[in-house]
Amino acid sequence: MFDLMGRNSRQGMWAMPLGVAVVIGAVLSFGTAQFATAENLWNLVTQAMPLVITAIGQMLVVLVGGLDLSVGSVISFTTAILALDAPAWVLIPAVFVLAAGIGFINGFVVTRFRVHPIIVTLSTQYIVLGVTRILRPTSGGTVPEVVIAAVSGSLWGVPFAALWGLAVIALAWVLLYRARYGLHLFAIGGGIASGQTEAARNFGLKDRRTVLLAYVACSCFAALAGVFLAGRIVSGDPNVGLLVELDSITAVALGGTQLAGGIGSLHGTVIGAFVLALLANGMNLANVSPFVQTAVKGVILMAVVGLQSRKKMGL
Amino acid sequence: MLTRRLFCGLAALTTTTILAGRAFAVPSLVLMDGVTPNPDNTTVIEAGKFKKDGPWVIGMSHFGVNANTWTVQVSHEADFAASKEPRIAKFITLDAGFDQKKQVADIEDLIAQKVDAIIVMPVSSTSANASIEKAVAAGIPVVLHTGRIDSDAFTVEIQGGAEHFGKVMGDWLVKKVGNDGKIWVLRGLAGHPEDTNRYNGLMQAIEGTNIQIVAEEHGDWQYDKAKSLCETLFVSNPEVDGIWSSGADMTRACVDVFKSFGTAIPPISGEGNNGYFGQWLADGFDSISSEYSPAQGAAGVRAAIALLEGQELYHSYGYHPEGWDKDKAAKFYRADLSANVWWPSELSEELLQKLYAK
Repeated sequence: MFDLMGRNSRQGMWAMPLGVAVVIGAVLSFGTAQFATAENLWNLVTQAMPLVITAIGQMLVVLVGGLDLSVGSVISFTTAILALDAPAWVLIPAVFVLAAGIGFINGFVVTRFRVHPIIVTLSTQYIVLGVTRILRPTSGGTVPEVVIAAVSGSLWGVPFAALWGLAVIALAWVLLYRARYGLHLFAIGGGIASGQTEAARNFGLKDRRTVLLAYVACSCFAALAGVFLAGRIVSGDPNVGLLVELDSITAVALGGTQLAGGIGSLHGTVIGAFVLALLANGMNLANVSPFVQTAVKGVILMAVVGLQSRKKMGL
Repeated sequence: MLTRRLFCGLAALTTTTILAGRAFAVPSLVLMDGVTPNPDNTTVIEAGKFKKDGPWVIGMSHFGVNANTWTVQVSHEADFAASKEPRIAKFITLDAGFDQKKQVADIEDLIAQKVDAIIVMPVSSTSANASIEKAVAAGIPVVLHTGRIDSDAFTVEIQGGAEHFGKVMGDWLVKKVGNDGKIWVLRGLAGHPEDTNRYNGLMQAIEGTNIQIVAEEHGDWQYDKAKSLCETLFVSNPEVDGIWSSGADMTRACVDVFKSFGTAIPPISGEGNNGYFGQWLADGFDSISSEYSPAQGAAGVRAAIALLEGQELYHSYGYHPEGWDKDKAAKFYRADLSANVWWPSELSEELLQKLYAK
């Protein structure tokens, strides 16, 4: 039987946030004149995209019981690099190489020295942010034209942001559901969540390598989100990624992924990210006072996560 | 030949007179006390360009409403100014929370709502540029204040001049500590353009002197963080001739630290905050207050109204007031109000009592 609530599913509990997204969308469609317009819906897709991309990367790490708090700094770092005075063909590959290096350090320290991911990635968050602020103390510089064009353009009325989304989701779908790597992620994460950390290794899986690669992939997804944001703000900015790490973890949790690992889904994460974007967009359109927006966001998030009761206690 | 020269001369004189007359005719509108046309940019927004019949919907993208008491008051000042204008049907404030990407999204949301004018307090000097250009392309006038951007796309700007703010404090401190003084520098939020520009003002003031910055820290304009910083600085390096503080809450914190150690308070800069004024008047330390009124929020609303009324405005206005001495601070200080009020304010007495009564 199709487990709509997902209480027993390895795919996590994604139906609840989807329901919330539909309800918020319906309320806004009837309550405001602007929500259901094509202009606003495309705005929504564009506004959600950096979080969608980052959250997908974050989910890979969460599936193996980890967390990556450095993604926000990687995003800021990426925009700072892209705003350097160098050709695009140098800068664009460079940001992914550097991000992969940051992810490798995270994964290596977590798997080899068994340091808690929060400590490791918090350390890299500070290091990367510090380097970013040395590179670019304040916002400025110019991002390569090709990056701006790749983000701000549209094709037959469909903004490029939507195409970015489709491409990233397709890539992640292949990685998670069509490649052996995805199967290993779920298996290793399931073992970690149930306290049997050696289980996957006993079955011959290379758990350390798989976990390390999850951190590398997570950083690369963050770099991709950074490229997208650099195209949006048309400059480098040392603070643009601040708090994205928390939003990405929230989106992952909201999408039904268990923070202890082993349970979660791509579609749940995408829905989680869109719920957050929908809340921000919806409260703007509904003219909710800025003094109460943050509280409203917190209440809705707690309600959604609270309604996702699990058969087994998990984070 | 002579006739032709005379004719050309008369034509040139007439043209000059018309242009000069046009330039002098524009700035009749006073956006705020101390706000004057920018002499380096006399571009004029022609009359009627954005004229629209009311009722109007005006949106404001605030860089961070809840950052501190000053940013909250800017929002109140804007709301109050909008509430006094019956042709404004709705005044929408969106809070970017110092998040550049949220500000981009907020401005897009205001454009989608088809507001009649947008007021932007930019989070950073570049991140909102593309959205502002998008708004102007959609025919929506954009008023910019309390932060510069690296673009000329806005319709009207009112710039407080953070360098001026920092330089007023710096010039005063140079006089106080002398050519060879040792100073601490308490900065605001790292990476924020207001912090960088105020600091640049200090650098301009001490250029050519032998003044030594013996400590430079970011207190994020917050009382608690600055208090910890000043405690540490005092213990490690108490020999200081003066303190350049980028914000009043940090000044209050540092003064409290010196008082707690029972030491004389060195000359220290401040700004127009009621709590700081109270402390200054009570303790009598040597200080100067740079002016940076939260009523810029109201000035932004007035500029938006003027554009929608079809008035001629300058493209760029400056706000470069003199520093305040203790006597001027005493005239504004209100013992019956809390430390959270900033001066000068345009809020009504009723609102001041409602929001800030002790």
